[in-house]
Amino acid sequence: MQIALEEYEHTDDYRALIENYPGQPQHLLAIMQDVQKQYNYLPRLAISMIAEHVGMPVSRVYAMASFYKAFSLVPKGRYVFRVCDGTACHIKNSEVLLDQLQQSLGIGTGQTTADGMFSVETVNCLGACALAPVMVVNGKVYGKVTPGDVGKIIKEYGGQEHDS
Amino acid sequence: MTANSDDHHRKTVLVCCGTGCTANGARDVFHAFQTKLKDHPEIDVQPVIKATGCNGWCEKGPLVRIMPEDITYCSVAAKDVDEIVEKTLLEKVLIKRLLYRDPISKEQLTSHHMTDFYRKQHKIALRNIGEIDPGQIDDYIERRGYQALTKALQQMQGQELIDTVKAAGLRGRGGGGFPTGRKWQACRDAQGEPKYIICNGDEGDPGAFMDRSIMEGDPHTVIEGMILGAYAVGASRGYIYVRDEYDLAVQNLGQAIKDARARGILGEKILGSEFSFDIELVRGGGAFVCGEETALMASIEGRTGEPRDKYVFPTEKGLWGKPTVINNVETWANVPVIILDGAEKFAAVGTESSKGTKVFSLVGKVVNTGLVEVPMGTTLREIIYEIGGGVLKKRAFKAVQTGGPSGGCIPASLLDLPIDFDSLAAAGSMMGSGGLIVMDDHTCMVEVARYYVNFLAGESCGKCTPCREGIRALLEILTGICSGQGRMEDLQVMEDICLTMQEASLCALGRTAPNPVLSTLRYFRDEYVEHIENQFCPAGVCRDLTTFYIDPEKCTGCTLCAKHCSVNGIKGEKKQPHVIDESLCIRCGECYRVCTFDAIKLARRDRNEN
Amino acid sequence: MKIRLNGQEREARAGESILDLCRRENVPVPTFCYHQAFGGQGACRMCMVEVKEEGQKQARLVAACTYPLNTPVEITTESEHIQRVRRTIVMLLARRAGSHPLMKEMAEHYDVSPLSAITVQPPNCILCGLCIHACEEMGKSAIWSMFRGVDKRIATPYDEASDDCIGCAACARVCPTQAISLEEKDAVRIIWNKQFEMIACKRCGKYYATQEELEYLKERSAYGQDNLCESCRKKNLAINMKNFS
Repeated sequence: MQIALEEYEHTDDYRALIENYPGQPQHLLAIMQDVQKQYNYLPRLAISMIAEHVGMPVSRVYAMASFYKAFSLVPKGRYVFRVCDGTACHIKNSEVLLDQLQQSLGIGTGQTTADGMFSVETVNCLGACALAPVMVVNGKVYGKVTPGDVGKIIKEYGGQEHDS
Repeated sequence: MTANSDDHHRKTVLVCCGTGCTANGARDVFHAFQTKLKDHPEIDVQPVIKATGCNGWCEKGPLVRIMPEDITYCSVAAKDVDEIVEKTLLEKVLIKRLLYRDPISKEQLTSHHMTDFYRKQHKIALRNIGEIDPGQIDDYIERRGYQALTKALQQMQGQELIDTVKAAGLRGRGGGGFPTGRKWQACRDAQGEPKYIICNGDEGDPGAFMDRSIMEGDPHTVIEGMILGAYAVGASRGYIYVRDEYDLAVQNLGQAIKDARARGILGEKILGSEFSFDIELVRGGGAFVCGEETALMASIEGRTGEPRDKYVFPTEKGLWGKPTVINNVETWANVPVIILDGAEKFAAVGTESSKGTKVFSLVGKVVNTGLVEVPMGTTLREIIYEIGGGVLKKRAFKAVQTGGPSGGCIPASLLDLPIDFDSLAAAGSMMGSGGLIVMDDHTCMVEVARYYVNFLAGESCGKCTPCREGIRALLEILTGICSGQGRMEDLQVMEDICLTMQEASLCALGRTAPNPVLSTLRYFRDEYVEHIENQFCPAGVCRDLTTFYIDPEKCTGCTLCAKHCSVNGIKGEKKQPHVIDESLCIRCGECYRVCTFDAIKLARRDRNEN
Repeated sequence: MKIRLNGQEREARAGESILDLCRRENVPVPTFCYHQAFGGQGACRMCMVEVKEEGQKQARLVAACTYPLNTPVEITTESEHIQRVRRTIVMLLARRAGSHPLMKEMAEHYDVSPLSAITVQPPNCILCGLCIHACEEMGKSAIWSMFRGVDKRIATPYDEASDDCIGCAACARVCPTQAISLEEKDAVRIIWNKQFEMIACKRCGKYYATQEELEYLKERSAYGQDNLCESCRKKNLAINMKNFS
């Protein structure tokens, strides 16, 4: 696989995270979660090193990365707007919030702005259904969000609304 | 020190810090209490302040309870704390505006136990939540925690435990409803070492958060249940698989495991017995399908969450091919109570086929949203109206969705259905994990079916043809119907595909994926027909089939709709009839939902407009 | 042990799958994802048959390729019910691979009412997974099934040339719908976005393996060190054996 030269600068950091765990497949999830948490995505070199450490082919580690929603193969934005699409939120029109975000930030769901600042995602039910519809930005929970609130929330994180 | 401490002079302030209340600022309330009392050591009363798990009444949070007086304050903000300390703690005076006010009797109730929401509940799985600090193992112990374990290790054999659980009639609370005692027996009888115990904490049904609350608010009940299970079947290792998105649950369980080890409750020679057992926490990767037990085990083994055929059960060949018992969080939470108080007491509650209680998450268009634990056999009507306070804004009840994406929609005609495993299945739904999503006349049932199929399109593992391709085809058809491109023949095509999915899918996700489609077709076929033949969405939800206009006869010019319109698309003078600007309208329906004069009407979308 | 297969009593080996039994007894059961080398996968669901177990009032549908025979059951491999399931499976898979002769034949045989075709990657792939098994057995597991749900597809990591791919093309050969693109021109083979240099048989000159494939074989065994293609090696062996007699 093609690995950018810059990534090799992180070799020792990746190794430190990876070697926290014994080199067995059962630790694959945990290792990948640690790397994801640290780098906000799974760098190619890290995937390669993880495969070697647990003794599995790279294709299977990539399969894990692409199968599980916890992982991202591309870097996410600095602020990730997660709109809960659980049923309670859905029937309280969470889709409209998504539309607002997409319009204001100019990106689709699952995408990141060109400047790497914002990503928009849907997230599975967070279990805060009494506050439907719910939006989470980098761990901060916003409840009973109306379409009108979306612009204000974006501004909180330094975003500007697109001219719609 | 817990709320049940014998020292009645010692006050306790319980601040609910479940996810819902935390989102509403409960942590600030908690810290305000801590700060106020720390900064004023001269204050006579120095209560113990506890951050507890979710009380279930998320609608009224942040909740603060004061013991031993049993006072409940609702919607508390950090700025109220000074007053609470001065008036209630010191002067024993109630702050009326923070008390719950019954909407009908207008009576103010001092304790949440007096409210309809709580009065009719019967807490077993949720018995400790809201009463203890989950980070304090002594809180758990003071409320009979680990007494069942002590009793079992000192007085009972493994087989006796299994017989007790069998006699109690406990059935899996995760959705399958499989008799727990039978499962344990099969594992005990199976050959293979080591044997494993797994807790399925991968709660994924949208709208369900009972497992989250238990894992966050009372992690020790899960641990105790698992140790008892391990002792019963002869297992030495356990795993708790927690959904990735549940940060607080991961934290609290991790802490609880550490605390249990420190007390000799987990590890070698538990509580001085010959029995050894330990638990490892595994964090899920974000996949709904991993709630399926064979997919969950694949995930623990470091593989993608693809299920396998279950012609051989996990109790015979499970994790790494060894005999494994895997049970849901709520199932485990019931076990210590069954062992401690006996099978008969447990079986005295519930129905013939479904013993005990069930925790439901009552959400959606209902007045009292939250977690509710009631005896099996309680009717839907009782839960939604007597406990839940009825439909929000007094709108018409349309349906209640049970069982998540594997379940179905139950119409008003079946509201007197007593809830148990068998009755819900007969009605075309299932209990599932206990999600109850209340829907009103502003919910489009076709869109609900589409929503669930869309959810499953991304969550299916994709391995088998009927599920993967069946869901794909269903989603295409349903999306088409919701955007005005449906044909009547589509309904038959969907029914055919659904049948094959039910019969040929590899796992329960695929087998039950048709349920939302089939149940809405069964009880709400007219809505499908309306979408297809009349190109109209009677609920005003499907944006390609709806447009809104204001009836000038009914509009009072109150400007409420204009204020809620996020595109500034409603114009009008105060007290004059308003008008919706069609060119700006995004048909989100906000105006339709907020108008209190029934002045906003639905119309078919003119297909010629762009 | 004794079981009943389509009304006839038959002897089954403990633990073998229904499919194994049927194949031995020459009872046809259609499959897409089964291969003798890999056993049953339970993916395509084409092999569903009816099984009535001891003590059960009704029969249920099970996948013949993964259901192990350990008790005296009654198996039915043909019925209207089963036909309907097979028809729907073919209808669904034909959306992915409808242009391939195998699929066309199946669709005709089961009298399928077609649904609109969909575009999949690789084209015509029915996600049987046989290529993955072949690569695991013969190669270094360069490909796997990636993503999930309706987006699931077979690929190399990042859809790029994989360091693990040895170009053996076992995947392409085992694929029932020829979905894997295999380009061969003179001494060059291109597969899964990777280019390989082919080695010529020193006896007949035919290009028969990639350099990487031979190196991998060297790692795994002493086999294949002679730079002979399969047919020349057999001829060689025949000559050698003649010399013994």
